[in-house]
Formats: sequence, C-alpha cells, structure tokens
Amino acid sequence: MAEEPLPRRRLPTDLVQVPIVWTYELLKYLRSRRLVAAIILVIAVLSLIYFLPPAFGHAYKGTDVNAYVTVTPVPVPIEFQGVTVHAYGLVNRTNLDPATLVLYRDGQPFPSDNGANWIWSPTISYGGFSLPAHAIVFTSNVTGYSYTASFDWSVTTEEFATMFMIFMNFLVVICATFFGADAIVSEYQYRTGYLIFPNPVKRSTLFFGKYAASLSAGMMVVVLFYAGVILLSFLTLGELDKGFGLSIALAAEYLVAAMAVAYVVSSLLKGSTGALVLTFFLFLLILPIIDNVSAFTNVKIDGSLTFAGGALRYVLIHPYPVDSSQTIPGFGSIGQFYPSPETAAIVMAAYTVVAIAISLVLFKRKQLVG
Amino acid sequence: MIEIQNLTKTFGPIRAVDDLTLSVPRGITIGFLGPNGAGKTTTIKILTNLIASTDGKAFLNGIDVIAHPKEALSNVGAVVETPEFYPYLTPLETLAYLGRLRGMDSKSLTMRSHEVLSEVKLDEWRKTRVGKFSKGMKQRLAIAQALLHEPEILIFDEPTSGLDPRGMVEVREIIRSLKRKHYTIFMSSHLLGEVQETCDKAALIDKGKLLVYDSIDHLKGLTKVAKIEIVTVGEASEALINTIRGIKNVRAVDRVNGRTFVVTFEGSETERADLLRSVQATGASVSGFASVGLPLEMMYMDLIKESR
Repeated sequence: MAEEPLPRRRLPTDLVQVPIVWTYELLKYLRSRRLVAAIILVIAVLSLIYFLPPAFGHAYKGTDVNAYVTVTPVPVPIEFQGVTVHAYGLVNRTNLDPATLVLYRDGQPFPSDNGANWIWSPTISYGGFSLPAHAIVFTSNVTGYSYTASFDWSVTTEEFATMFMIFMNFLVVICATFFGADAIVSEYQYRTGYLIFPNPVKRSTLFFGKYAASLSAGMMVVVLFYAGVILLSFLTLGELDKGFGLSIALAAEYLVAAMAVAYVVSSLLKGSTGALVLTFFLFLLILPIIDNVSAFTNVKIDGSLTFAGGALRYVLIHPYPVDSSQTIPGFGSIGQFYPSPETAAIVMAAYTVVAIAISLVLFKRKQLVG
Repeated sequence: MIEIQNLTKTFGPIRAVDDLTLSVPRGITIGFLGPNGAGKTTTIKILTNLIASTDGKAFLNGIDVIAHPKEALSNVGAVVETPEFYPYLTPLETLAYLGRLRGMDSKSLTMRSHEVLSEVKLDEWRKTRVGKFSKGMKQRLAIAQALLHEPEILIFDEPTSGLDPRGMVEVREIIRSLKRKHYTIFMSSHLLGEVQETCDKAALIDKGKLLVYDSIDHLKGLTKVAKIEIVTVGEASEALINTIRGIKNVRAVDRVNGRTFVVTFEGSETERADLLRSVQATGASVSGFASVGLPLEMMYMDLIKESR
C-alpha cells in the first residue's frame, strides 16, 4: 500500500469504458498507414472510373448532331390520349434533353407541331402498349422517310452511379480486412494483451470498443467513397440517383456484417497475417464461389453474405432487376439472381448478430499463453 | 491481501500449477522463485486475468479474481512478462488510456502521469510514440503504468528480464523504492540475488508445487551448503586439491586458476572454521578464504535438486 494512497476511486461502468476503448482504438486507425492506403485507394479508384471513360471516347454528356433515328412502325396504329401512335424511333442514347431535341425528316426539320408529328416519351409504357424507354413516338405516318435528330444528351444518374458502385463491395471487403481482420489477434500476437488485459476492464467491453473503432474507420472510407460519387454526380450531371440513400444504408449494413465476420476470423486465428489473408479471400474467393454455384445450379442462395451485399448496387438500377434463368444447350439452366433489399437487410443483420456472438465468446475464452 | 487457494492449471497432460496455496500479507514484498517452467508466470497470469485456472481460487484484496476479475484488478498494478505497448501512442496517451479505464479524472491523471514518468525516468520521452522505445524503456513504462493509479498490490513478472545490466539496476532501484513505500509486491524472478536484495519473503515453486515459503532470513538458514573461495600464496598443486577433496564435509573442489579454487562445503560455521584449519594443516599458505555465491542460491539449488 502506498504511504499516502489516494481515496479509492469508483471504476467506470462497462458502458462508460466502451467509448474510452473506442477512442484509443480509433486513434490506432487514424494514425495508421492502412487508413491512408484506403483513402488513397478510394481517390485513385474514383479518379480512374471517372476519367478513364472520357479518355477512351465515352463522354458523360454532349451534343449529337444528325444522329440516325431507328424507326420501328407499330403493327397497328394505336389511339392514346387523342393521338395516334404510328411508330417509335430510337437514338443511340438513353438520356437526352427533350428541350434540345430537333428532328429531321429527309434532312429537313420535322417539328413536333405540338404533338401532331411526334412526341418524346421517356417512359416505356404508352397507353397499354409497351415501347422502349426514351423513344420518339411518331404520331403521324412515317412510311418512306429517313429521320435524323440533334440533341443534348447525358448518361443517366443510374448509369453513372452503378459504374462506381461495382467497386463498393470490394471496398467494404478491404475495410473489413484492414480494420477488423487483426483487431483481436494482434493483442495476442504482438503481446499488447499483456498491457491491457490485466486492467479492470471486461473482454466484452474491449470487444465492443474495438468493434466500434473498426467500424468507424471503415465507415470513414465508405462514406468518403460515396461522398466522392455524389460530388462527381452533381458536378457532371447536376443530379443524384434516387436510390443513393438506400444504397448507402445497405453499404453501411454490409460493412457492419463483414466487420463482424472479420472479427470471428480475428478471434479464431493465432496470427495477424493469416487473419488478414483469410478474411480477404473469404470475401473475394470463398463466398463468391457459393454465389457462382448458386448461378450454375440455378438455385438462389439468399444466405450468402456477399450475395446479399450486392443489393447495395442493384438498388441503383431502376426498376430493380428481377431473377431470371437462361437455358444453355448442353449445360442446363443458369440463374441470374438478385437479392431483394429486404432479404439482403435481414441476411446481413443475421450475419452481424451471429458473428458478433461467436467472436465475443471466442475472445472471452482466448487465453494469453506463450 | 493476496490469497491463493489450491490453484491448479493444466495444459493438456501438463500441470503447470499444481494445487498451489499461498497467502501474501499486506505491505510486504515477496519473491516468487522457481526455475523455468516451474509455473511462476502461469500463476501470475491467472492472478491478472490473462488465463483461466483449471481449479482453485485466487483472491486479490479479498475479491475472487477468477469470478470477478474487473473488481479484483481495480486495485492492482501489474507488469506481466515484457508487455508490448500500442506503438501509435505516446507514454502520456498510454497512461491516459489506462488511467481513464480505471476511472481517473483528468487532474489526477495529469499529476500522476508526470510523477510516475519521472519516477521511471521517462519524463523527457512522454510525448514520443512508444514504437520508438527500447526494451528497457518499455519495461520502465510498464512499471509506470502499474504505479499510475497507486494500487495496493503490485504484481511483477520477472521485471528485469531481458534488460541490460544498467536497466536491471534501474528497475531494481525502482522496486526498492516501492518497497520503502510499503506497497504489497508480488514479484516473480529467477534472479536470486535480486530477490535476496529486494524481498522480505520468498516462495519457491517447482513443477507447479510450492516447495517452501518463508522469510528471506529464514530461508538462508535452511541450507548448510556454502561455496568458499580459497586463494593460496603460490600455485596450488594438484596434490593439495586432492587432499582438500578428502576433508570432512567437502562436497567438491573446482579450480578457478592456478592459485584459486572453490570448495563446495556443507557444514556449520564451526565446521567451516575447521575447514580453514585443515587446509592450513596441509602446509598451504592461505591468503584468501571467503564465501562466494548467495545463501539463497544455495538453498534454491538444494531444494530444486531435491524436488527433481
């Protein structure tokens, strides 16, 4: 006993200790090269995806002059809202500005004439008759003429966003690997457990503080990527896809689940390198094998975490894609499956709960020997 | 203060700690001795919640550390093996982290951090990240974090292990100063001189079992074996050495150099005086006759030999 001991202080509760652990664990990531590497990766990927297509001649917007219009007559002219639909015409762009659309018939301007000659239809359904989206609907006889058009165009927000979101699933895996895979095992391998475990703090408190810090670091990277895409979308197209909010929510949930799985690996293995490698390949190789088997056997496996994670991309596609299968002669049916956002959310939540429970038990039982 | 009751820890077929019972009263410094693999570190790891016991109980300040580790460790400072620190934190940040976990407020944290860092001579490094520290500096920081909250019990596991001679001296001096402040110190070591110099009592274990537990003074008296270095004037002949080997109570004679040899002798002080007379009776001119080695070391070797 010290000669003049301080009055005995009350130990903080577990709930008070969790944010303390979180603070200092987060500091680890904020001062780490891994976070810097992840940020550099995000900036590099955003730059590559944004700048490469225009560099190869695929601009995000522009003006087409005298673009050929492919005209398809409808079998039988239909009456709709006082006009008669004779044909529809398509240009080689999906998203054009109708205010700038000028149509030419045999090289001569062919005005809409208040819908008497043609109208622009961004929808696919036209009076019970299905037409391709973004079509010029001819309300007069088109037979015997060739049509060209001039217009301003841009890619759709959907096209723009999905182009970037292909990388998001990979980014979540990188975050789970960088910030979660060795969070537990490093305390044992690098002997820092000898410092922290003899303190009056429960393993569960350490676990949740660490998990919160890992999630915070991962979330920073994910949010940075989304912020970049949102910024580029506004700068380029002046608008944002309506599915972005849901995509961000699903990405966050996917990160939470992937991080929990990474913690299971971290609690299970004895070496940091093994945990990092196993986590990375689990998400990029092992679970995707299940997804591929699902396609080849034409059996939808909703329970795969990587399959569920795909929903964060698909919510940016309008309408949401539906399952389909294709028969290949001599090979059988191959399925093309899409997780519903609701099912994906449930699957990811289930992974989170189960993985946290398993890793917590493993962490509590893991002994600092050797 | 520290109460260990029938503590057992097995790793498969190996009983690292075997029904160990030990009671350490308040305010004393106890040396926990034993050869490598004796179970010292395993016992300390159980006391500090690093591993679970297989059986038995351990109490720190009357609180069962196995059942309620958080409460039991609230008034304990520990240095187990050579802990590694989070390399991205400075000593001040490390102490702030651990201090806040223990409920210290900012004012007492600031005050105590500077005090303990000064005590272990790390004050000038307080804002340098620990990743750049040497092993000795880390060991001193480990002691600082153990002292930070002024615990009643200090548990040190081989606190000078791996340090260079200067580091060992520094750490021993710190422990001696803590002893003067009447902390209860439970210190494992296989450096017997260190224990003899710094501890009030010592417990000796081997193969997980307690062999002896008593005051240092009493333990020194448990053995009658002594090593005596004899120096002669001029070269000691082989015949002289052989003659001495035949003297009563002499266990062995080992030549150190031409004039010096060490006699392993078992006997009382009177018999030791007889030994000197017997050596002189051989005609040898003795210029030096002195005990070498530590009494505790003799006791240790005796008991370990018996145990094995």
